[in-house]
Amino acid sequence: MKRARDIERMVQDLRHPVDAEAHDRVVGHLLDALKRHQTQSAARQPHTGRMIMKSPMAKLAVAAAIIAAVVLGLFEFISTDAGPGVVWAEVARKVQASGSLVLRIRETGSLSPGKSDYAIKYFSPAGARTDVYKDGQVTFSQCTNAETKTTTVVYHGDKRYYSYQRGEGIDGFLEKDEDWTNPIYLVQQILSVEHTELGEKTVDGILCEGLETRDPAVAGNVVDMVDSLDVYLELWVDVQTQYPVRFESRVVAEAEGEVLDSECVMDQFQWDAEIDPSRFELEIPDDYYKQM
Amino acid sequence: MLDDRWLLWRVKRGSARALRRLYDQYEVDLLTMAASLLGRSDQAEDVLQDVFVRFIESIETFELTGSLKGYLATCVANRARDLRRRDRSRPTGPLETAERVASRQPGPLQGAIAKEQHERLSDALAQLPYEQHETILLHLKAGLTFREIGAAQDVSPKTAESRYRYGIDKLRSMLNGEAES
Repeated sequence: MKRARDIERMVQDLRHPVDAEAHDRVVGHLLDALKRHQTQSAARQPHTGRMIMKSPMAKLAVAAAIIAAVVLGLFEFISTDAGPGVVWAEVARKVQASGSLVLRIRETGSLSPGKSDYAIKYFSPAGARTDVYKDGQVTFSQCTNAETKTTTVVYHGDKRYYSYQRGEGIDGFLEKDEDWTNPIYLVQQILSVEHTELGEKTVDGILCEGLETRDPAVAGNVVDMVDSLDVYLELWVDVQTQYPVRFESRVVAEAEGEVLDSECVMDQFQWDAEIDPSRFELEIPDDYYKQM
Repeated sequence: MLDDRWLLWRVKRGSARALRRLYDQYEVDLLTMAASLLGRSDQAEDVLQDVFVRFIESIETFELTGSLKGYLATCVANRARDLRRRDRSRPTGPLETAERVASRQPGPLQGAIAKEQHERLSDALAQLPYEQHETILLHLKAGLTFREIGAAQDVSPKTAESRYRYGIDKLRSMLNGEAES
C-alpha cells in the first residue's frame, strides 16, 4: 500500500527521457535566439545593454545576489560550530525567520567605478525595493510591488522610467529566503565549507563574534561555472541579538575572459523591520518620461 | 539560488556556455512537466523551446525574485495550459515516453519495471483533473510553494493546497487500486 509520501517521491522521481536529437535541435534554436537578441538589442539601443550591466544598480544587484546568497549559505554552514556567545544555529534560524529586512550595501572595486556611494534595500512580503545613492541623492530606484505585480525602474538622473507587469507570482522576503536557502545546497555547504572563528570584536559599537572563510566551495555551483574564483567572507553577529550586523566580502571571479570583481560591505541591517507597504509604491515625478 | 543568479548574469552578457548550462540544468524536469501535462513528447519539446526563447528575448528586463526553475516551470505550465485550451483535447497514454524509459535501463527486467512504473504513474496523473495535475507537478517537480502556485493559477494558496491534497489522494487510490488488483 503506497502512502502519500511514496506517491510524492514517485512524482519527484518521474523523468521524461531526453531525446538527444531534440535536445541538440532546441539548444541550437536557443543559441540562435541569444545571438539574434544580442544583435537586435545592440542595434536598437547601442549602449543600453552595457549601461544596464555597468550601471551601479546592476553591479550591486549581481554582487548583492552573490553576497546575500553566500551570506545565507554561510549562516547555515557555520551552524556546525557554536561559539561561546553566538549560537550559530540560532543565527541561521532567526535570519531565515525574518519576515522583512532593510540593509545598506556599499560596493567598491572594478565593478563599481564610483557611480554610487551606497544602496538601501528593502524586502518584505509587500515587495522589494532598492534605492541607489550618490552624493546624498537617489540616482536609481527599482521597486516591485507584490500586490500590483508590477516592477518599476527609475533612472533619476535621466528623468526616465519604465514599468512592467510581472507574469510570475511575486513573493516577498520570505520566499526569497527560501530560494536563497535551498536546503540541499546548504547541507552541502555545512558538510564541505571550511571556516575560521574570528572571536569577539566591537562592530559599530556592538559586541560581535565573527567568522571568516576563504573556501571557494561556499559559492556552490558557481565554482564550476568560472575559470577562477577567489572568495573571502567575513561575518559579524551581535552576541546579544544573534542577528548579523556586518558582512564583508571580496569576490574575484573570471569566466570567458571577463572578470567580476567586488568588494562589498553590508551593514545597517534591520531584521524583522516594520516596513510601511507604501514604501513599495514609487511616485513618479511629472517631468519624468516613460520609456516604452 | 546563487548559481541561478550567476547563470542569469552570464546569459545576459551573451554567454552561450551559460545558456547551455542553464538549459541542461532544468531541461529534464521541465520536459517531464510539459510531457506529463500535454501527453506528447513533440509538443513538450516545442513548449520548452518556446519558453526558453521568450525567456531569452525578455532577459534584459528579467529580474529574478524566486527560483529560476520555479519561474520557468510556471511559464511551461502556462504555455501547456494555453495549448491545451487551443487543442481542447487532452492526449493520454504516453507510450512513446515509456518505451524510451525502458530503453535506458541497464537490464530487461529493470527496464520493464521502470516502464511499467512510469506508465502507471503517467496514466494516473493524466486522469486527474487538470488543475490538480498541474499543481502536483509545480509543487513536486518545480518546488513552488502553494502561495506561488496560487498566484500562477489565480487562486488562493488554500485552493492550491487543496488541489494538491485531493490530487495526491486520488493518485494514491488509483495506484494502490492497481497494485491490489
